[in-house]
Amino acid sequence: MTELIRVSGLQVHFPIRSGLIDALARRPRGVIRAVDGVDLAIDEGQVLGLVGESGSGKTTIGRVIVKLTKQTAGRITFAGEDVSALWGPKQLRDYRRRVQLIFQDPYETLNPRQTIHDFVAEPLEVNGLAPRLADREAQVISALESAGLPADFAFRYPHELSGGQRQRVVIAGALVMGPQLVVADEPVSMLDVSIRTELLRLMLDLREERGLTYLFITHDLALAWVIADRIAVMYLGKIMEIGPAQTVISSPRNPYTQALVSVSPSPDPPDAGMRAKRTILKGETPDAAHIPTGCRFHPRCPVAFDRCQVEEPPLFDLGGGQSAACWLVEKDQLPVLDPAILPGLPAPSPGVTPEAAT
Amino acid sequence: MTGSADFVPTGRSLRAERWRLRVRGAREFAGQFASRRDGLIGLAILSAFTLMALSPDLFVGAKETVVSATGTRLEPPSAAHILGADELGRDILNLTVHGARISMSIGLMATAITIVVGTSIGVAAGFLGSWTDSGLMRVTDFFLVLPTFVLAIVLAPVILDIIGPEAEFLGLRATLLVIVVVIGITSWATTARIIRSQTLSIRERMFVDRARVIGSGSGHIMRRHIFPNVVNLIVAQAVITFAAAVFIETSLAFIGLGDPFAPSWGQLLESAQSAGAPGLGAWWYIAPPATCVVLVVLSFTLVGNALDDILNPKAQVRR
Amino acid sequence: MTAPREELGLARDLEARDRFADDETDPSVSSASDPVVALGDDAAPDGLPPGGIGERQSGRRGSLPKLAVPGAPLLVAKDLRTHFKLDAGWVKAVDGVSFRVDDGEAMGLAGESGCGKTTTALSLVRILPSNARIRKGSSIELFGIDLVPKTENQLRRYRWREISIVFQGAMNALNPVRRVGEQIAEPIEIRLGATRDRATRQSAELLELVGIPRKRAKAYPHELSGGMRQRAMIAMALACDPALVIGDEPTTALDVMVQAQILQLLESLRRDLGLSLILITHDLSVIAETCDRTMIMYAGRVAEEGPVSRIFTAPRHPYTERLLGAFPNINSDRRTLETIPGIPPDLLNPPEGCRFHPRCPAAMDVCREVVPPEVLFPDGVRVACHLHPAGAGGGMLISAEDVASRRMPPVAAETPAVGASPGTPGSVGK
Repeated sequence: MTELIRVSGLQVHFPIRSGLIDALARRPRGVIRAVDGVDLAIDEGQVLGLVGESGSGKTTIGRVIVKLTKQTAGRITFAGEDVSALWGPKQLRDYRRRVQLIFQDPYETLNPRQTIHDFVAEPLEVNGLAPRLADREAQVISALESAGLPADFAFRYPHELSGGQRQRVVIAGALVMGPQLVVADEPVSMLDVSIRTELLRLMLDLREERGLTYLFITHDLALAWVIADRIAVMYLGKIMEIGPAQTVISSPRNPYTQALVSVSPSPDPPDAGMRAKRTILKGETPDAAHIPTGCRFHPRCPVAFDRCQVEEPPLFDLGGGQSAACWLVEKDQLPVLDPAILPGLPAPSPGVTPEAAT
Repeated sequence: MTGSADFVPTGRSLRAERWRLRVRGAREFAGQFASRRDGLIGLAILSAFTLMALSPDLFVGAKETVVSATGTRLEPPSAAHILGADELGRDILNLTVHGARISMSIGLMATAITIVVGTSIGVAAGFLGSWTDSGLMRVTDFFLVLPTFVLAIVLAPVILDIIGPEAEFLGLRATLLVIVVVIGITSWATTARIIRSQTLSIRERMFVDRARVIGSGSGHIMRRHIFPNVVNLIVAQAVITFAAAVFIETSLAFIGLGDPFAPSWGQLLESAQSAGAPGLGAWWYIAPPATCVVLVVLSFTLVGNALDDILNPKAQVRR
Repeated sequence: MTAPREELGLARDLEARDRFADDETDPSVSSASDPVVALGDDAAPDGLPPGGIGERQSGRRGSLPKLAVPGAPLLVAKDLRTHFKLDAGWVKAVDGVSFRVDDGEAMGLAGESGCGKTTTALSLVRILPSNARIRKGSSIELFGIDLVPKTENQLRRYRWREISIVFQGAMNALNPVRRVGEQIAEPIEIRLGATRDRATRQSAELLELVGIPRKRAKAYPHELSGGMRQRAMIAMALACDPALVIGDEPTTALDVMVQAQILQLLESLRRDLGLSLILITHDLSVIAETCDRTMIMYAGRVAEEGPVSRIFTAPRHPYTERLLGAFPNINSDRRTLETIPGIPPDLLNPPEGCRFHPRCPAAMDVCREVVPPEVLFPDGVRVACHLHPAGAGGGMLISAEDVASRRMPPVAAETPAVGASPGTPGSVGK
């Protein structure tokens, strides 16, 4: 299993400025720490489910990886190369062919004035990949067919298509350049439940056929469980827990993950007795400009104690590919691995354990 | 629609399909427009005036001059002269119809300048943001507050100097070209503001993000994604600007900045005033050109309303 | 923090001060404290539970509308048809839907987009676009009072005071330029004729009831988080002490933890205030958690309806089965999802016969031609599917009237009486 992409120490901070005076004085009124120190790695052919509620930073990570948003700090390594500093259409030409994004809203991703053909062909045009019209057409049709749409859809306009069909077009548009890594940001959340399964199946089939790797971003833990090999749970810009999907769901070790799993809705009849006790947290996620000190979850954590208010826990390796950031699991952690064995990682600062690669 | 089985990709078939799509789109549009009574009335009036502007001779013969005038001074309407005559005996109907060409040409050219300049600046400022936006917007603000008439009076000799008194373009002589330039200079700022505003909201939409993700540069995005989605607004603006331009030209000519040898409607009104027509009760001198201005502005408003509703993307059905 | 309704004694006082011309409150009608009795051996031979139907529980406001029919259930919809007029024709969004909600019950309307659940709920309060028509032959009976023939003015007596609605996406329903406390106080002032002071105090109490600290009454909607806004919407819906609250996808736009909080709140409000609920959602998990009964809708018609525990353990309609399977369930071992091929039908020209037949894996010839009649089974579940005809398994054909009376098939299930032929909904064997 070779590693395809790794981010280390990723930070994305947005300054809050207001008004001309502040802008002139370059005086930020605060900082939104959307992503606040994240380490992630995805192996080739894997599906990593990135789960979190709104404000967790999961979408921002997706945007940083596809280079729509610039990171404030941290490193991104893709297929062995350091791509952190690349920016702008020229430098990113090659990167963009290999890393693509499936957007969330099929009604908004398609320009209402563009035909389907133009939408799917645009990546080829913009990157000069198929200069002859006939070539482009052929590739468009091939992409549409891979996404399960007949060729004659090419000449329709978006408003003639249903939500599920539009999302297939979006997928075709993401595939046409033959990427290796596809970031999918809530790809099915705006679709009817019965349509979702088809699209998910399509995405998994494409993984088989083309050896794709997915970063699957979603707020729906159960959905991540169904589709992902590994799940990472985020809260307020940091990873709280990461591990194999089944393990994270059946034996979560971080209290936030535990609460999330316990309230994840399931279509069980009330008297079936299968429903575990629910941990409904109080309050809502604080905003990313006012992140609590110490462990950022401590104000809402049902089992927080004094150390949690003061020190932020690192991700502790618990074996079997699972890591959780919580002082309560510190005693269960495996010994720290020698960073010299893991190439490409920065030397750990004290107290930070690099996440063990699977 | 062709089935996928018999679809063979060649460049030619794509062009054919595109053409078919365009024709279908045009037919749909025509159908929608035909159902709008206000649009149709506006279009009818506009067509009439356009015809008059394009070939005035067909309607009333050659433009009358002092030499060919047959009426008596300020003759009231009669069988020979349906709308009476001016102070030089020229037939008012003749002059009015010929005036259409001048007024509307001025309107058209001024609108062209306004739209081209306004849209370019609006889209650039809205899309590129930060310093470009601030800089362009300060310039725009400056032009926004300039008073039209004062500017016209100040600029007229300056521009005349620049282009030379003998300049001629599309049948308009120097003085009228000045008016075109002045209207353009004072109108583009409003358009720029409006287009910039729309651009700001389009810029945040997901399909622009998608264009970025696949590697599009700013130019490509502005051309292929921003511009087609502001076309509605541009059309609406063009219609408003045209109407305003005709009206401004009329006013400028009325205060004496027009070309006495090119009787636009405004010029006719100016002549009427100098000849003392209001005091003498010669309504036939004033009413025709004034009515034409009103009708043209009205027709544009009606057409503009209809177009606005049809082209409004919110009217599209979302499943 | 919840305050039982008796302590908020406002409602009774204000009834006396009701300014409306058709003052319909009658304090002399008392409420019995009999909850609806479960069906079973003590069911009377004609299937009706003893002790009357739909009596209000104790602790509730003691008065019913003046025109209320004594002993009538809280809400009954019979053969509801709501159609929309488009240039191209009529969209049959709701096409023959009947159901009944009893006092204190929570009914979940489930289905995907276009199934008609939202239109059904909006028809109940008649907040419909101008091109919508509720067809003749439909009836919506609130305490036995038919709301369909009422004029807009007459309806006002019931809207918000007997039935209120919590919309999806509170940000759209709250006025962004008015403070939250004011917006909750407004219906109290206008509908119930309270003084400004009284209304403001009541509004603060309602905010606490839904878990918002009193001092936040002065906040504007944008200053509140998503969860708080939704709570404010719920407070607004409770302002006039309604008997029935309709929730239109009340948790759909919210994070899963906030969703759990809101559902918990609704549950406690139901308990403490004796509230009845109609919950509209596409999310079957939410229904499993909060509702007693559920109605699965497809393309404007009822596919299956009955107690949640029965439908979720043993769904009969193929659509229900598939739909349940399309939701991931982390409590089970199942890591696969069901799929339903095709797309929901165009309601301008819906398919002949059973509207689900183009997508149904078990479609038979009869499904293409004949509309399946609704059949009621002894476990209380009503299904419209040719795979479950009357007779087999104790099923009995039922009409809209039977739905209204919660008629049950005879316990010793025989084949139903003569004359019942499949194909005509509404034919009753007697």
